[in-house]
Order: sequence, then C-alpha cells, then structure tokens
Amino acid sequence: MAAAAALRFAMLLLFWLAIAGTAALPVGLIAAALGTAASLQLMPPARLRPRPAALALLVLRFPWQALRAGLAVARIALDPRAAPRPGTIEWTPRLPPGTARDAFLAYASLLPGTLPAGGLAGGAVLIHALEAEGAVAEAMTAEEARFARAFGLDG
Amino acid sequence: MTLLLDAFTVAAVLAGLLFFVAGTAGLLRFPDTASRLHALTKADHLGLGLIVLGLAAQAESAGGVLRLFAVWALVLLSSAASGPILARLARRGGAGG
Repeated sequence: MAAAAALRFAMLLLFWLAIAGTAALPVGLIAAALGTAASLQLMPPARLRPRPAALALLVLRFPWQALRAGLAVARIALDPRAAPRPGTIEWTPRLPPGTARDAFLAYASLLPGTLPAGGLAGGAVLIHALEAEGAVAEAMTAEEARFARAFGLDG
Repeated sequence: MTLLLDAFTVAAVLAGLLFFVAGTAGLLRFPDTASRLHALTKADHLGLGLIVLGLAAQAESAGGVLRLFAVWALVLLSSAASGPILARLARRGGAGG
C-alpha cells in the first residue's frame, strides 16, 4: 500500500511538474497528495505485471487506431450518400468483472467503431457499433487479448 | 526549415479542423445518441490530435510539447471515462433521438 501510494504520488507530481513547471510547487504537492488519496480510494492497488514489449505495442498502435476511428466517423458524417447503420451487439468479455474489465471497456470506447454501453445481467456487455454488420465481437476479443497481454492480466 | 515546420503546422491544423467539422456534422446527422457519441469522441479526438501535432512543431521547448500532448491525453482519458457512461444512460433512458 505504501509503495503504491509513493509511486502514485511521484507519478502525479511528475505530471504536475511537466505541465505546470516548478512555479507553483506547493500547490502541486497538495494536488498530488489529494490525487493520490482519491486514486487509492477509487482504485485500490492491484498486482499488475505489465509486459514492456506488449505494452509498447499497444501504446504505439494507438495513434493508428485513433486515425482509423476518426476517418471512419468522418467518412460517414461527411458523405451525404452514406448513413451509419448502427446497432448494439452483445459481447462477453474474457476479463472478469472489476477494474481491469472497466479499464478495457473505457479503452475500447476510443477504438474504431465501438462504444461499450453497459453490462447485462448474464455477464455480457452491450457494444454500440457504428457499423453493426462488421465483425465487431471478434475485433473486441482480439483487442481484449492485446490489452490483457500488455498488462499481464492473462497469466 | 522554419518554412517546412510552418507548412506542417498549417497542414496539420487544417486537417484537424476538418475532423472537428466532420464530428459536428455527425452530431447533427447521426440518428441515435450513441452514434452521436461516436462522432463527438472519435472524430474530435483525431482532430485535436492533429492540432496538437501541428502546434507541437511550433513549441519552443520540450516542456511545451509535453504540455500539448498532456492536453490530448487528458481529453482522451476523460472521454474514455464518460463516453461509456453516457451511452449506458442513454440506453436506460430510452433516448433514441
């Protein structure tokens, strides 16, 4: 717990220094302390074993995903003959319910064409897709596997 | 070199603006709340990313570049957190239009 708190405090302070510089350091110290307390409350420390190579791949792949996602929306929005064919599919995550699954679903909302829209009683999750006819569930499963590999959630 | 950087900035910011226009067009045209969220988040993220990239070429220090990318990261983080919540609320409320 103490190690997690120290790490989170250091990361938050580093982020403060990166965006605000050293001019208002006392404010930054207070903000980092409050942020650490809030984050420990909201997200208790979990045993993560990130795999550097898989994590780097995930991070480096992200701008490409953002480009694909933005282009897909822009094409449908700006082409007067195109119309979205939205739909909601049910998809069952491999990750157990909890912080890791929630984190993946938040990440999935940034990926092309998918927007998680809440869970169902049986453990499935509703995914709103802009083009519901494609292989949405398969893409989600593949992304989930990449995400789990990067953070060591699959081992 | 400065000319090249300036040209890059102009091109990237203009491309970014195009995606903001596309996101707004989607917001107006798309049929349901969740589709509109797609437009608002994904197209605008790319637009903001391109503007950040263009402005980063004009930054005078590494700190400036870092600050610009921090803006992008914070916007992505907040919309990744709020997008699925809004989509869930829209479904529960039955707000289709």
